[in-house]
Amino acid sequence: MANDNYDSSKYPKYPIEGFDTLPPDMHLTPEAIAEGALPENVPRNPAAWTHVHGGRMDTDPMWITMGPQHPFSHGLWTLRVKADGEMVTDAEPIIGYLHRGWEKEVENRTYPKIIPMADRLCYAASMTYTHLYCMTCEKALGLEIPEKTKYIRIVADEINRLQSHLMWLAAVGTDFGNFTGFIWATREREYWMDMNVRLCGARMTTNYPRIGGVRNDTPEIFDRDIIRCCDRFDKALWDIITLFDDNSTFTSRMIGTGILTREQCANLGITGPAMRGTGVDFDVRRDDPYDNYDKIDFDVPVLTAGDSYARYVVRVEEMFQSTRIIRQAMAKIRALGKSAPYRLKAPMNIPAGTTRMRMEDPRGTSYMYLVSDGTDKPYRLKVRSPIFNNVSSSKQLVTGCRIADIPVIMAMIDMCLGETDR
Amino acid sequence: MAMNYLEEYRDGRHRTWKDLWVVRPILVCCRLLLRTTIHRPVTVLYPYEALWNPDNYRGRPALEFNKCLGCGMCVRMCPCTAIILVETPDDEGKPVMRPQINMGRCSFCAYCAEYCPVDAMTVTPIVELAEYTRSDLIYGPRRLAYEHTTEGMKVKFEETLISDYKNGNGEIRHDHFSIDRPELDEKKCISCKKCAKVCPVNAITMVEHGTNAKGRPILWPEVKSDVCVSCSNCIDACPKSALKMKEVL
Repeated sequence: MANDNYDSSKYPKYPIEGFDTLPPDMHLTPEAIAEGALPENVPRNPAAWTHVHGGRMDTDPMWITMGPQHPFSHGLWTLRVKADGEMVTDAEPIIGYLHRGWEKEVENRTYPKIIPMADRLCYAASMTYTHLYCMTCEKALGLEIPEKTKYIRIVADEINRLQSHLMWLAAVGTDFGNFTGFIWATREREYWMDMNVRLCGARMTTNYPRIGGVRNDTPEIFDRDIIRCCDRFDKALWDIITLFDDNSTFTSRMIGTGILTREQCANLGITGPAMRGTGVDFDVRRDDPYDNYDKIDFDVPVLTAGDSYARYVVRVEEMFQSTRIIRQAMAKIRALGKSAPYRLKAPMNIPAGTTRMRMEDPRGTSYMYLVSDGTDKPYRLKVRSPIFNNVSSSKQLVTGCRIADIPVIMAMIDMCLGETDR
Repeated sequence: MAMNYLEEYRDGRHRTWKDLWVVRPILVCCRLLLRTTIHRPVTVLYPYEALWNPDNYRGRPALEFNKCLGCGMCVRMCPCTAIILVETPDDEGKPVMRPQINMGRCSFCAYCAEYCPVDAMTVTPIVELAEYTRSDLIYGPRRLAYEHTTEGMKVKFEETLISDYKNGNGEIRHDHFSIDRPELDEKKCISCKKCAKVCPVNAITMVEHGTNAKGRPILWPEVKSDVCVSCSNCIDACPKSALKMKEVL
């Protein structure tokens, strides 16, 4: 901080014994300290210096860099905010710390080998991207997958949606300082990770969907445990949200902060729960159904407030809807029986052409664009990550709020930088 | 049914508990405290106890040395290039090709176990793989052994053919190792015998089909369908791309 107005000659210099390491002009008297004087390299308290500035506080706007290692950012990214006092007047997101060259890397791999890589796009909901990739390839091949596979994939998707939303709820807990919320949400997430282990043997990077089906049929232990898990979760989630919703310490930080309008939402390309919180009634699962989502009865939560609290409520309601979807899909799987096919043999080569596919990720609409050239490797595979757009809109989200609100506002976006930078 | 939570909470406050906002979270926490005091603990003392895991839990891969063919299907499918084939003496001292896995590169995707045509490669529940040096992480073919292999650890590769599915025979399952076979384009073949040399199961025999203009024999490979494991090594070795995998769909 420039200290042009600091007039050191105004204060008498009395060297204090035992503190000779300080330069002589920085020695302050006890009287001067009591008056508010500070050495030049220490930021001053502007309120104590009003008499020097002619009664005006020094409130020059300044840029604060939050990140890349910062508790508020769930991942590696930087948010530079321009703060005027405590109010944020401008912001600038900087991403790219996690760039791994994913899209170039997959061009050297055969189609089945991309499936484990698609898991690594987002660890919190790995199966949704794998599912999207497999759907894109199936669409390029013109392959109609069996009924049972579609329902198994729906169940797997919803497990990952719950996992992702619980991860988000846990992160919201730490951002608010509600550590009990963090612990409880993480505990519930552990049960859904166990469901992943039952289904395919891995907790997070599942490598489960295949082009033409899924890796294995649902084991009997999964059929039994998933309904128990749903029953347990429906009760447990009410307990967790009580910690946030019935406590105005937390709701008052969410209500009315980070407001977005429908028009801003459309212009910025925000999708997912953040979009549904502003009143746009759109869900790819319902409006452009893939797999068998059109045969399943579920509701899409929509709120019109557009603030952080609306996004929070939409996400929590989505968790309740997910267990509803899982119960219906598991009933369909059981009705189809164990002998029904679940994995079709897909050809190695995908015919030349371009294919596009989209799906409802836990964080928004994810999209893949495949250019195939008739060989067993893709020519180009483009991923549209919903979080790239959501993080890019952080300027509009945090402008006009206080610095203390930034963690809350950005937590409601549910960032995942692995898929943003790819 | 609809959306109970959304309807109740959309205005930002729970209606019933509006004035006692701090009481309900405290009651919920007290209930949990009471419940956890009465019930037995849900955690385990990790180094001494371990959680139960299903058989298909994907820890490090394991290899049954004598069952392995050395076909290199695991090397071909590994997305991380963690596996290479190394020459190892077998039980009789004869050199054979067997996979060696660098666990520092492994991503635990279990493709090696899934694509193994004879189920020699399996998954194991071993996840404690920490070592002092990087070279200790390289598992040779003998070190990959695991005694307690069960049926569930052999990752099955079962597919339904598209033709079967369309004809309504969806319950018939195949693996592509038993149905996909290499096919020869006779015009391109130059009788170099490379395919017969690389075949890990000696399924290819060179059969004479007359002589060429210089009086030398024309040899075409013939694949024994019951021995072939569809590993594509002959296709990769062919210098003239005369061999091609014929996929049964």
